[in-house]
Amino acid sequence: MSKKIIDAIIEMREEDALKTTRELLNSGTPPLEILNACREAMDVIGKRFECGESYIPELILAGEMLNQITDIVKPHLEKDAKAEKLGKVVMGTVEGDIHDIAKDIVVFMLDINGFEVTDLGVDAPPAKFVEAVKKTGAKIVGLSGFLTLAYDPMKETVAALRNAGLDVKIMIGGGQIDEQIREYTQADAYGKDAMAAVNLAKQWIGV
Amino acid sequence: MKIIGEKINGTRKKVAEAIADRNVEYIQNLAVKQVEAGSTWLDVNAGTHPGREPEDLIWLIENIQAVTDTPLCLDSANPEALRLAIQKVNKTPMINSISGEPDRLEKILPIVAEHGCEVIALAMDETKIAETYEKRVEIIEKVIKATRAAGVPDEKVYVDPLAMTVATSNQSGVVACETIRALKSKYTEAHFSIGLSNISFGLPARKQINRTFLILAMQAGLDCAILDPLDQDLQAAILTSELLLGLDENCLNYLKASRKGLFE
Repeated sequence: MSKKIIDAIIEMREEDALKTTRELLNSGTPPLEILNACREAMDVIGKRFECGESYIPELILAGEMLNQITDIVKPHLEKDAKAEKLGKVVMGTVEGDIHDIAKDIVVFMLDINGFEVTDLGVDAPPAKFVEAVKKTGAKIVGLSGFLTLAYDPMKETVAALRNAGLDVKIMIGGGQIDEQIREYTQADAYGKDAMAAVNLAKQWIGV
Repeated sequence: MKIIGEKINGTRKKVAEAIADRNVEYIQNLAVKQVEAGSTWLDVNAGTHPGREPEDLIWLIENIQAVTDTPLCLDSANPEALRLAIQKVNKTPMINSISGEPDRLEKILPIVAEHGCEVIALAMDETKIAETYEKRVEIIEKVIKATRAAGVPDEKVYVDPLAMTVATSNQSGVVACETIRALKSKYTEAHFSIGLSNISFGLPARKQINRTFLILAMQAGLDCAILDPLDQDLQAAILTSELLLGLDENCLNYLKASRKGLFE
């Protein structure tokens, strides 16, 4: 039965996916089984995106399906059976840059892959990152920036997090960021797209 | 349709390598080819090396000017780099770009005014990129108030309504076209330009999207674009659109291109 919902998500049949969810619940399928099937479907889509067979609009639609399915399933979940979050991440577009699209996609992909994400929005100064990490206890920080002018604020944010003595792994991404920029900013890693960010985060928490 | 040749852009990998290696031949070849393909300006973007931008920009300018006298479009958000670069140009350049961001109006607009440059004005400010055409119109109204106050005539202003990718917002093509329509009736002397390729970011068969969007935007009043002038299908689409929009008197440009084999 769960294959039916996986196929519906992978083939971007939104109404079918929601209908199947309701049918499965009515026929007594455990809610967690449905959510696991969704995650499996997201995995397939994520892999297809990585190798260039799926595209951003499909990622977005798949995420929307997942959110709607979660809403349908939630009331049926036992309180203590709710899926455990994998880990916490603080994300934001660095000071001086206001680009949010790529950052939003990363936040979204981390979220649907099981991370609890604190989104600092755009034009976030270094102090805001430091404060959010202290408050949430996140072990992973993502710095986004599209403009070349974002590289210096990234470097400053990395330095601020290190100087505050916080034990975090820092990834950067957006625009033309590459290994040279990573080295310049002294971040731990860079990611070329949202799936790369998810893979880095999973790798860092040891999943 | 005026064309700003997009290829000499240091955020592209091969160009970044050519800049780093000081590969004069590669850059000059790009310049000559784009001029031959009908560029009115050549965009010059020195790319991503923090701290090295002014030096790289000047190196590009000097080597491009050694092979062509087509004016340049200096593409930088760095006022310091622009100030230094503008001392090196042979012809008054276009500046890419100002926007509603106070910082750019304060620091880049004076350079534009002082040197009598044409300038690209982005329909964005320091806040999140506006998703409605009404808001983009408001931003440009503010920018044009500032350009007028600085003594820059409207005909030197190239409004860029912003082409965000349709991959993440499927209304963005419509919003860009509506922004042009609304502003064109208000500022009849101003021009409208767009960074074309962004519209298709993240999608397959990008040229197909770019070409079709350009036709739609020309219908809305676009008269300039930053694009790849070496793309023959794109050039054919431009000429055919101009023909159909009544901008090609006696069909002469179309016929000339046909005889040259552009449509084969």
